[in-house]
Amino acid sequence: MTMPWSHVDRMIPEYCDGRLSAEDAARVEAHLERCAACRCAADDFRFASALLTRLPVTKAPDSLWPGILAELDSRNKKTDRESFSTGSSEKDSGSVFLSARRLVLAATTVVAIGVAAYWYSSRSPSESWQVSATASNAGIDRVAAGRWLQTDASSRLRINVGSIGFVDVAPNSRVRLGTTRASEHRIELERGEISAQISAPPRLFFVDTPASTVVDLGCAYTMRVGDGGEGRLRVTLGWASLEWRGRQALVPAGAVCQTRQGAGPGTPCFEDASVQLQQALDALDFRNGGSGALDIVLAESRSRDTLTLWHLLPRVDTADRGRVFDRIVSLTPPLPPDVSREKVLQLDPDTLERWKEALTWAWIWPLQPTLNGGVK
Amino acid sequence: MAVTAAEAEVGPETIDACRRGDRAAFRTVYNAYKDRVFSIALYTLHGNADLAADVTQQVFIKLMDRIASFRGDSEFSTWLYRLVTNACLDAQRRSKSRSLAVDSNVLETLPDPASLEKAFARTQTAELVKRAVSALPSKLRLAMLLRYFDELSYEEIAVALNCSRGTVASRLNRGHRLLAKSLAHLRGTQGLEE
Repeated sequence: MTMPWSHVDRMIPEYCDGRLSAEDAARVEAHLERCAACRCAADDFRFASALLTRLPVTKAPDSLWPGILAELDSRNKKTDRESFSTGSSEKDSGSVFLSARRLVLAATTVVAIGVAAYWYSSRSPSESWQVSATASNAGIDRVAAGRWLQTDASSRLRINVGSIGFVDVAPNSRVRLGTTRASEHRIELERGEISAQISAPPRLFFVDTPASTVVDLGCAYTMRVGDGGEGRLRVTLGWASLEWRGRQALVPAGAVCQTRQGAGPGTPCFEDASVQLQQALDALDFRNGGSGALDIVLAESRSRDTLTLWHLLPRVDTADRGRVFDRIVSLTPPLPPDVSREKVLQLDPDTLERWKEALTWAWIWPLQPTLNGGVK
Repeated sequence: MAVTAAEAEVGPETIDACRRGDRAAFRTVYNAYKDRVFSIALYTLHGNADLAADVTQQVFIKLMDRIASFRGDSEFSTWLYRLVTNACLDAQRRSKSRSLAVDSNVLETLPDPASLEKAFARTQTAELVKRAVSALPSKLRLAMLLRYFDELSYEEIAVALNCSRGTVASRLNRGHRLLAKSLAHLRGTQGLEE
């Protein structure tokens, strides 16, 4: 190749960045030895590269995140309204069930809007928390965000979460007060136990623990953290979510979920699930239980335990996923029309979400009437 | 591509969670990329912080709107930076901010070497670099910012800018030469020797 007489401008960036093959780099070098113009271009590139290292990364304003959330929320509300307006197109089959579902959704929406309206009207921007000792009449103190609170063997504390609820801190617990503002209230539970009661739109109150973050979805719950950082979430009303590095466990009322440091949330299950199921689930989540443990979970599952099985779908390997799918279908027939085995096994996000919505009713209303008048 | 600690948390599980509408996962993605997205917008939009903030906000809202369409055919960051470059170019068109001709004017208004008695200080040099980069034609500027802020490969830049790998190399070459020419008086400054 007669490189010396053909300039190499376009190869200079890759040459200077060391991205050329050895052969091409040698050719460029040979050309540069003879060509002052390209040598100058290479010098310019290196000089400009050095200049660009002086360009600082600028921090994005803190105000951006709340604005993004507000925009997403307003879009979600619009989508909800649109989905209600198309409800009349449902086919006759199953219409009683669907109507009931829409009724509940509508009622939930009305309550949510009411709660949201109350929240917006009563919120007060603050960077401190109201804390009181529940066993005395000492009154309420304001404690700055960032402070740690610790209870001894006989003391309890109540922390007001803005105007959206409260958290009771049990004895022998250690809690750090984090940010508190209209768009986010956050505390950290290092060890011990808290009980939270929150009435607000979802995802306004967060509890960070060593193993996961508890995200309020409009609920009441208890979170306990052991000395090793392991945690257990128990939801008594509504829903909460345990989250860690993209791994999520949705926990409805009546269910519990364990979490471990380095592993994140395990698989949620109902408290009234069989002991065998709960033990096998623990082995599956945290002790490499394998197919043997999965066999027990599948055998012990009731229709309500599709909560557990649905969460297992992305957590088991492909072969076992098919078994989990089959078990869910056998427990809660029929398969919704827009959910296919193929898509579920592929873990298609939309399909999994649609199936979850269909299954949710078995989780919320556990006593499903059967044809012979009993319940399952 | 160099990966920051925050970006390292954005794995396939996080992206999947975003597809399901998981706000915590979205927050993880936001925290990992917000400063770089904002910086690229800032330097692309001639230091207009308000406009850069708007663009950053739009980019992340679009990200959540369109995350379902991201199928993993390219790196997530490449996909994200395509949103960024499109949003920056749109904002530039909308605002009818400085044209290339004005860019040239900015280049001409850079301080004279004689007046740069203390311009060797790092912060001042940074300020000069900012102004010079901001004055470059936007297509050249975006290629350079993606290369130096995010250390994208040439292939990734090509995807983000919707052009060929050869065009990326050409734009980088031209951009660097213009930058070197406009700041030639800084040659020999400590830390800037070639």
